[in-house]
Amino acid sequence: MTDRVTLTIDGKQVTVPAGMLVVDAAKKVAVHIPIFCYHPKLGSAAMCRQCLVEVGRPIIDHATGHPELEDGFPRIQFSAKLETACTTLVSEGMVVLTQSERARKGQKEVLEFLLTSHPLDCPICDKGGECPLQNLTMAHGPGKSRFLFDEKHHAEKQVPLGELIFLDRERCIQCGRCVRFQENVAGEPVIGFYQRGRSMDIVSFSEPGFDSVFSGNTTDICPVGALTTADFRFGARPWELMAAASICSQCAVGCNTTLNTRREARSDGQIVVKRVMPRQNEQVNELWICDKGRFAGYHYTERDDRLLKPQVRRDDKFRSVSWDAAFLQAAEKLQDAEKPVFLVSGRLSNEDLFNLLQLADGLGAETLLYTNMGGGDLTGMVGLTSGSNLADLGLGDVILVVASDLQEEAPLWWLRIKQAAERGAMLIVVNPRETKLEKHADYVVRYAYGDEIKTIQDMNKATHKIHKVFAKAANAVIFYGSEGLGLEGSSGLAGACTSLLVDTGHYARPNNGLVGVWQRANDQGAWELGFRPVKDLQVIFDKSEVVYIVGADPVGDGAVRLKKRKPFMIVQELLSTDTVGHADLVLPARAFTEREGTYTSGERRVQRFYQAVPPRGESRPDYEIVAEIAARLDTALEREPGLVMDQLAEHIPAFGGISYLKVSEVVEQWPVINRSELFYGGAVYENTQGLGMQLRPAPVTSFPVSKGKGGLRPKEGLLLAVPVNKLYDQGLTVLSAPLLRERIGELKVCMNPDEADRLGFENGARLRIGLNGNNAKALLVVDPTVPSGILLVPRSMGLPIFEAGMPVLSKVRKKVTG
Amino acid sequence: MTHILLRHRDIPDLDKLAVYEKQGGFKALKKVVTGMRPEAVTQLVMDSGLRGRGGAGFPTGRKWMFVDKNNWPHYVVVNADESEPGTFKDREILESNPLQFLEGVAIAAFAVEAHTAYIYLRGEFWPIAAELDKRIAAMEKAGYLGKRVFGTDYTLKVHTHLGAGAYICGEETALLESLEGKRGQPRIRPPFPPVSGLYGKPTVVNNVETLTNLPPIINNGADWYKSLGTADTVGVKIFCLSGRVRKPGNYELPFGITFRELIYEHGGGIIDGVPIKAIMAAGASSALILADDQTLDTPLDYGSVHRLGAELGSASVIVLDETVRLDWLIDKTMTFFKHESCGKCTPCRDGSFWMKHLTERIRDGNGSAEDVKLLDSVARQMQGKCLCALGEFSTQAVVSSIEKFPGDFGIKRKVSAS
Amino acid sequence: MRFGEPVLELVRGMWITFKSIFERPVTVQYPEEKRPVRPRFRGRHVLHRYENGLEKCIGCSLCSAACPSDAIFVEAAENTDEARYSPGERYASTYEINMLRCIYCGFCEDACPTEAITLGDNYELTFTDRRDAIYDKDMLIEPLPAGSDELTPQKVKPGVHTRAVPEMKNPDD
Repeated sequence: MTDRVTLTIDGKQVTVPAGMLVVDAAKKVAVHIPIFCYHPKLGSAAMCRQCLVEVGRPIIDHATGHPELEDGFPRIQFSAKLETACTTLVSEGMVVLTQSERARKGQKEVLEFLLTSHPLDCPICDKGGECPLQNLTMAHGPGKSRFLFDEKHHAEKQVPLGELIFLDRERCIQCGRCVRFQENVAGEPVIGFYQRGRSMDIVSFSEPGFDSVFSGNTTDICPVGALTTADFRFGARPWELMAAASICSQCAVGCNTTLNTRREARSDGQIVVKRVMPRQNEQVNELWICDKGRFAGYHYTERDDRLLKPQVRRDDKFRSVSWDAAFLQAAEKLQDAEKPVFLVSGRLSNEDLFNLLQLADGLGAETLLYTNMGGGDLTGMVGLTSGSNLADLGLGDVILVVASDLQEEAPLWWLRIKQAAERGAMLIVVNPRETKLEKHADYVVRYAYGDEIKTIQDMNKATHKIHKVFAKAANAVIFYGSEGLGLEGSSGLAGACTSLLVDTGHYARPNNGLVGVWQRANDQGAWELGFRPVKDLQVIFDKSEVVYIVGADPVGDGAVRLKKRKPFMIVQELLSTDTVGHADLVLPARAFTEREGTYTSGERRVQRFYQAVPPRGESRPDYEIVAEIAARLDTALEREPGLVMDQLAEHIPAFGGISYLKVSEVVEQWPVINRSELFYGGAVYENTQGLGMQLRPAPVTSFPVSKGKGGLRPKEGLLLAVPVNKLYDQGLTVLSAPLLRERIGELKVCMNPDEADRLGFENGARLRIGLNGNNAKALLVVDPTVPSGILLVPRSMGLPIFEAGMPVLSKVRKKVTG
Repeated sequence: MTHILLRHRDIPDLDKLAVYEKQGGFKALKKVVTGMRPEAVTQLVMDSGLRGRGGAGFPTGRKWMFVDKNNWPHYVVVNADESEPGTFKDREILESNPLQFLEGVAIAAFAVEAHTAYIYLRGEFWPIAAELDKRIAAMEKAGYLGKRVFGTDYTLKVHTHLGAGAYICGEETALLESLEGKRGQPRIRPPFPPVSGLYGKPTVVNNVETLTNLPPIINNGADWYKSLGTADTVGVKIFCLSGRVRKPGNYELPFGITFRELIYEHGGGIIDGVPIKAIMAAGASSALILADDQTLDTPLDYGSVHRLGAELGSASVIVLDETVRLDWLIDKTMTFFKHESCGKCTPCRDGSFWMKHLTERIRDGNGSAEDVKLLDSVARQMQGKCLCALGEFSTQAVVSSIEKFPGDFGIKRKVSAS
Repeated sequence: MRFGEPVLELVRGMWITFKSIFERPVTVQYPEEKRPVRPRFRGRHVLHRYENGLEKCIGCSLCSAACPSDAIFVEAAENTDEARYSPGERYASTYEINMLRCIYCGFCEDACPTEAITLGDNYELTFTDRRDAIYDKDMLIEPLPAGSDELTPQKVKPGVHTRAVPEMKNPDD
């Protein structure tokens, strides 16, 4: 058997790897075989029978083992029945006819069957206009119905599978794509078929309904309008929507998205984002996005409390001022201060950060990164480099995930790591408590809170099994998070992980390295540019004269407590945060949907997002605001994001060679999806605006010695509060999505049943929790997977926990308050 | 004649272990387990010419030979999901001659080197399953099953499993899905079960009657078995005779007897002596055969029936006389197939739904000639497109009756079932 | 040229004038008097209701898609049985036609799956402000039919109005 076979499809010759399906091979030569149930990511089901084609194979002469010849050409024998292209494997010399009279007749007849049970709903169906069934009916369908209208199958039209996804039972053509997606791709089989025959239904058997973080993807791949999202229900017709390429700003994965926008009367005639759709990038998110990105992706940019005008505080009241006055005041204050402080966060784009860096350089200002997770200096050195793709990892490779609940923090990484494990990569999950990834792991290492660093250091001993695994592996990637760890602890953990990677030779080459599970979209970029966090922000605020805060809310997060003497605060923000409330000068920034820029993802991939909607109020993009302030200090900075990037590439070695032109390049991706053949890849957008570009491998000279202690350990008689990240939290970026309210719920803290017994609490008890001087009401969930002595407290759920400058973990005294 | 499969008709209390032992029971199993190599057993069955009795008539020995020797473990699964309308042979075996059947299971399992066998019974057979469980336990106790069969190293565990009442689970891949705890829906073939079956492992799926044939074949040899039946199809078969005959029931006869013999000699002829009109040879799934003299003198074997444009299948012969209106009949079969369509593939799911509407309209006298044409067209449209054979079979009765009995679809009038 | 020919021409012309004295005048005293329009006249649009008062328009936007001059803007929302505007799940929460853009081609009428929009016989469209040329749904929709007293939205029994597109026969013409 050769690895590649040559066949002819509709007269076009194509050579493809053996083992490929005819339907995929046809795609290679732009022959589009109609399909419903097949999906290149889901594989064959052979349910819909739409892909019927004529298949002929050469007749092999048994005496010689060679094809029989006729006039010099192999004699082809066509099979008596039509074959389904989605189950037929290619073979040498095969001849496939997709447009022959017989094949076309077969396709038409199957389509007629499908239409007998499909309602004539197209005018009100959300899929109408981007519907595979509609498209294929136009292309192959019969013009006239032979089916009596009175005998049409009727079923329930509006069945909520959960609060996010609606099912129209009548429209469903029982292709099972959604069921197979949940089972095979998402690994969360929470929906399934019920009943049989024509009564076959999709039902959800989870509580809450359709409890999966990938549920929205089923609506994209549904070949009819049976599954629709509650978010976009009757929102607009697809052909009325404009599309702008974007990057999801919700986590460090950097999923490629397309924002669909439309002018809307409900929003006073503004152009608004109507929905978020995945955009194909096989190196990042393939064809999927998580529900947080889909349902919370942009809502916060449309909040009513968006800052629309520059404001100054006079007599303890905010007054709107002109931009000019605001720039001037900012410039003056920054210049007059002895050592101003710039506090920035990973919400900003690379361009914003670079201009801030330039301005700070000119002023001799201190630059600080606002984060509670460290180790970015190391991910800059031994992180993933150009040419890396998690999809390349498989047999012989190893992936280690430590101190992170990936499905909650970065769902797409979870998905891609799960797939790598299914391809044969060895997956090692090192976590103090059970996480969903463990189901797919080869090794699960459980340590006690506080032993994070030691655990990894132990693994790096030459005799340790995991060290051996790493040493043998072709490629190795470590994902580290910050569960139970603060800034110092996570720095130390990153150090330990780096040692393991360096000692086993897994760095500075593609598909090897360290990835930080950051909380913000561009944390990695901020680290690469040289922004560093500081241990104690309070000290900074206590002694500084002027603090320029961009895209951060240290007051709201409880990172600083403002005292009577406080620095002059210039706050550049999107929304009215607590920090804005205490600001002296407020500069309204534009949201990522209203401007251009690039983010550097956790995999060190620089990806570009484009403007989708017009700006709100007088807001300006961050890089421009900074450039305007700089102009008033006689420093010339670029105001055009593309030019800022050129400068950036010149100054920062890791960004060498990166330009807007480069990150906007597209190569052909597999599967080939295309909006005009929606039946193949679903309603997902093809990527025409750029696949991004990964940073160079950094020249490594020496690594900082991993010091740092782990997190705190639980102590006898005390409870250790451990902050954990939740996918749906009460952070403004998520809370602003009305649809997710139910999923966010209230503050829930988790405790071991033994611990709860000891303290006399029952599951579902209402507690009042005091932490670092903050109080909040919480619901107790008794969970046997939580180690004893531990109280899991989700971040951004109403109880401020910030552990960058403060003790990492606080002790909660048990005080039964009833 | 003496029965080979329905021996309980000759010997009372054959379902009792002691009686069965006394009547030469387990001799074949002992011979196989203690004195033969698995390949030799397969070869013997191959030589005997035994073909599957479930309907498809695939040579049993050949099926066993296809079992992938590089993939372990192997399984034997018995298809006792007897759900075809007009078929009731396995039930009699399971109820009255279960020990011969279980012996056959053990022989098959030994031949394919399986250590686990599952008997998949239709849900309504729950009392039979309970009885079988008792007998399996008794056989284990006696050393015929379980660990160390006949004192050898050979181990065989036999389990019964009840279906949940779906006709489709009689299709072997759907049966395997159901057995694995999934929805009973057919799989894509290839791969066939002997290569990748239960839990992705090589699996032999055999019918109850097929396996019940094994002990006598082992005992009497391949040549003896070959001497029964015709050159085309060897052996004996239980014919399930039903319909408008005087004495419906199971008749164990050698292949090659004619329809006339079966219906008039064994079945006692037609009720009230009405002329015979048509024959369905394989239950509701079969095409109708026009019952003329030539047909009635056709020997019953796979090849001869095939030449009549039908299949012998599981030999469930349903006899229709002149009082039966075929528009009523096809509405009956379509009601069944629409209800039992698993819904996996489009042509069967939507086609049976459509056909049922049409047959109902035609039966009630509301149909037109156009509707009959449409029905024929829809049925033919389904053919060659379905995922499994059941979708294809559901069209057989419709297409053949319109083709062979156009008169029944001419002028419409109310017809009641007689 | 013969003498007298010009006079003859003059007389001939005057004769025609003279003849018309006895003809009935064709002038219509618009606006007091209005000429009836032809059956297929395409004037200002009307949005129709069903007999029970529900709106025929389901907010599908097909008229807007068919419109060659981009004169129609539709925005949809979801019906509930508590507040029902139209049968089925969807209704037009905003429906606007810019009469200055409209070229009265009638494509919207052709595109409409529920026969909700038709071009009526009103041709008296005058505006003093460009903004007045945008007709919204309240201006376009026909008044309630006689005998029905409930305006949309209506409160209806659940499960009655489940289908958006009515079961219509194929037009014969």
